[in-house]
Amino acid sequence: MKKYICILLGLISGVSAVVGSDEWSGSSDLASIRVMQLRRDGGNRIRYPDALPSLLELMNEQARVGFDPDPLFIDTLTDGRLFDNPILYLNCDELPNFDFSPEENEALRRYLKLGGFLYLDAGIKASFLGADMGHSYAAWEERPEVREWFAQLFPESLFSPLPRNHEIFRTFYKGLPDNEYLRLEENQKRLPDTVLTFVEQEKWPQATYSFVGMKVNGRLACVASPICAMGWGRDEFGSWVPPISFRIRESAEDFDETLKLASFQGKTYEVTREDGLKDIIYTIPGKRPLWVREPTERWRIFKYYSGEEISDYAHSFYARLGMNVFLYALLN
Amino acid sequence: MDLAKKRRFKVKDCRVVYCLLALSIFSKGGAQPTQTVAEEFLKVESNQSISSGVPVRTSIDQTLEIASQKLLSGEESERVAAAKLLGKYSLRNSSLLLIGALDDPSPLVRRAALVSLVEHYNNGQIIYEAALVEKIYARLGDSDVEVRREVSALIPRLVPGLLQSGMEKLEINGRVVYGSRHGKLRPDLDKLTQDALLDSDSIVRQNLLRNHFSLRLQIHPATMVALLEDKDSRVLLVALDQVRIYGRIPGIFEQVKKLAIHPELGVRAKVLQVSRNLSRSYPLYRDVLRVLLNDGNRGLAAQSAVELARLGDSLSAKTVRMISAYLLSVQGLDEFSEKVFNGLSALGPNSTEVYRELTEHPSGRLRAVAWQNYLTQTKGWKDAKIWLPATKDRDSEVRQLALGAIRGRVEQLGEDDLNSLIESRYKDVRAFAAECLLVVELKIVENMFLELLIDEDGLVRTTTLRVLAKRRVSGWMKVHIRSLLDPNYAIQRAAMDGLLSESKVGVPALLDFVRAHPTESISSLARQELQRLGYRP
Repeated sequence: MKKYICILLGLISGVSAVVGSDEWSGSSDLASIRVMQLRRDGGNRIRYPDALPSLLELMNEQARVGFDPDPLFIDTLTDGRLFDNPILYLNCDELPNFDFSPEENEALRRYLKLGGFLYLDAGIKASFLGADMGHSYAAWEERPEVREWFAQLFPESLFSPLPRNHEIFRTFYKGLPDNEYLRLEENQKRLPDTVLTFVEQEKWPQATYSFVGMKVNGRLACVASPICAMGWGRDEFGSWVPPISFRIRESAEDFDETLKLASFQGKTYEVTREDGLKDIIYTIPGKRPLWVREPTERWRIFKYYSGEEISDYAHSFYARLGMNVFLYALLN
Repeated sequence: MDLAKKRRFKVKDCRVVYCLLALSIFSKGGAQPTQTVAEEFLKVESNQSISSGVPVRTSIDQTLEIASQKLLSGEESERVAAAKLLGKYSLRNSSLLLIGALDDPSPLVRRAALVSLVEHYNNGQIIYEAALVEKIYARLGDSDVEVRREVSALIPRLVPGLLQSGMEKLEINGRVVYGSRHGKLRPDLDKLTQDALLDSDSIVRQNLLRNHFSLRLQIHPATMVALLEDKDSRVLLVALDQVRIYGRIPGIFEQVKKLAIHPELGVRAKVLQVSRNLSRSYPLYRDVLRVLLNDGNRGLAAQSAVELARLGDSLSAKTVRMISAYLLSVQGLDEFSEKVFNGLSALGPNSTEVYRELTEHPSGRLRAVAWQNYLTQTKGWKDAKIWLPATKDRDSEVRQLALGAIRGRVEQLGEDDLNSLIESRYKDVRAFAAECLLVVELKIVENMFLELLIDEDGLVRTTTLRVLAKRRVSGWMKVHIRSLLDPNYAIQRAAMDGLLSESKVGVPALLDFVRAHPTESISSLARQELQRLGYRP
């Protein structure tokens, strides 16, 4: 399957299937595929400058596709080059606001109708995260600003959650990274036991994540996700940057009783789950969220894990997910 | 003693520690006696069932005390739960309870306690007492790998407590002497750290390597060499990062040189970086760069070549061709290619041809920078044949950088060349054509300015107007007078400036205009300018 996709992508990009191999020597007469990134405010709010270039390189290496690793930055949607390139990436956390002129909205509407693809990274953001931009949390609805913006663009359409079996999650990579992908010895621990169980069963089951999407003319033209770019950056030696930690839910026999009564002086937030029900998140200002009351009246505590293995695993997941999204966009 | 007995004994032993800790905490904190709190807790539960059903939460002291009791439980799951919960209360009391739990016989409890302690540190609850910090650090020798990983990752936070310096009072031959005491690891912990550098788990090895400087620890040369032979490439990357202060130690150079042919590209790239830095102090390391010059990866080989050129080596024509071929083969500027590209200037005159070839690269960004460097290096503004192709590039960034390199420097231009600029479909190029009217023969200007004057782009028209005034092209005044009525304010302004520069006919014409069109948008500025020059509009 991967081989087939590689050849297909090679054909799409007009570059032979050997592009990206370590030793290749040919040069292509055709221009590479350029991914656009919208940056407002003169790029003053850039959170992960290495992210998209690294991901594009990774796709060239692993999927043998001819992306120009240098994204094309545009600062307005009325930029004439918008219609020259099929994929537009936008990190919503980098926008100073969601004020787009009617001309920009019209240009984006046309772009999406004509076959363009928009990836709204951080287009999902749980309310309790506030201004802290470095967290990814699987809420299952687009952030309110995105909803308002798209109500102007396509008032007749709504974002809807992408099902776990959606093709976008397995365009190129299937499943979570294994030891081989992580370059670990077969018997080495990928993650602490409790973390691995939670990740495999709840956080990212079958390497899926909380995505919502909007179809335009029957085609998935726009997707929004919690921030993923934090997991794409690599330095020149192939090491992942920056470090990422995990938030996982842990239970214990008596937590349903204990957490209900344990001392708490903070705020609570509601976050939409995959099933449409609400989790109630207990937080204390300035600190990481404490615990969650789930609709089934199960109480679980948030635990935070950091370290090389956690970071490597998270990066591998986000990078594979990002690749799947961009390659899906290219193929569809 | 059989295993079960041993375990019971350990649990009992821990209970004693917890009891002591709990007693000390709650006697200091002045909280209510244990029994009362427990009763109250039950009351809360019963209150909940009796009253409205809204649970009444316990106070922090109550919560901590309940957790401390559960840490004494014989049930492992209860102790784990208590250790997890205590992480949510970043207070000294709960930190002490968690430190006590690090002696628990169950690895699950120890893990939970450590993760909670990390949470405390993250929330600003720092522990400085040496004895307590050393107790945490000592878990580096834990039998459980997850515990060791957590402790080794926590080292930067533990250092302030571990390495406390201070004053000490000594009596030498009956005389009291005060001296400074350097903060250093306790000898047994130092030994533990040296051993952990060769831990069976690669994450622990990485963490120790990364943090050994902050522990003021000198790695034994044999250990460093062993780490440079590590099977795990990520350990190698960290070891190479740390190699800079061990560069002159026997055995290190040989090991670094061996890694120059490591199968992983990232490791070889790190070797390149390390060798480049070390080469400045130890010329020996240039040999490593020479090995990398023959690397199978062209990017790495090209980067090595550029580094050697920077260090003063002269490169063969074949190597220069290799660099050029590599840059032509890349999709665009990434970290590797950007470094090679930025280093091209070290090739001296050889780089000119490389830049020229790159002006035809598929990547717009690369073409743009190549044009800029090529034009600068060849003084390309002196010959239109060199820079004209850049004005035909479809990428605006290429045109902008190329025009930026020659703007203001072009001294002459033929009619055909100017014509090709005027006919460009890019407005930035046509605006540049208008600028070039300043340097072409007057006859050519007279023949061609009209094309630019009717351009659809305002900037092109404005620039043309200003040039016409500057060069006093025949009939320019009429054009300017007519342009005062242009709807574009920038054009009006250019026309006004032109007329103001000519006092004989221009200024009177402007005076007439202001009187005839007092409400025109340029009129108020024109009035002010005229008044400044002593006229009464």
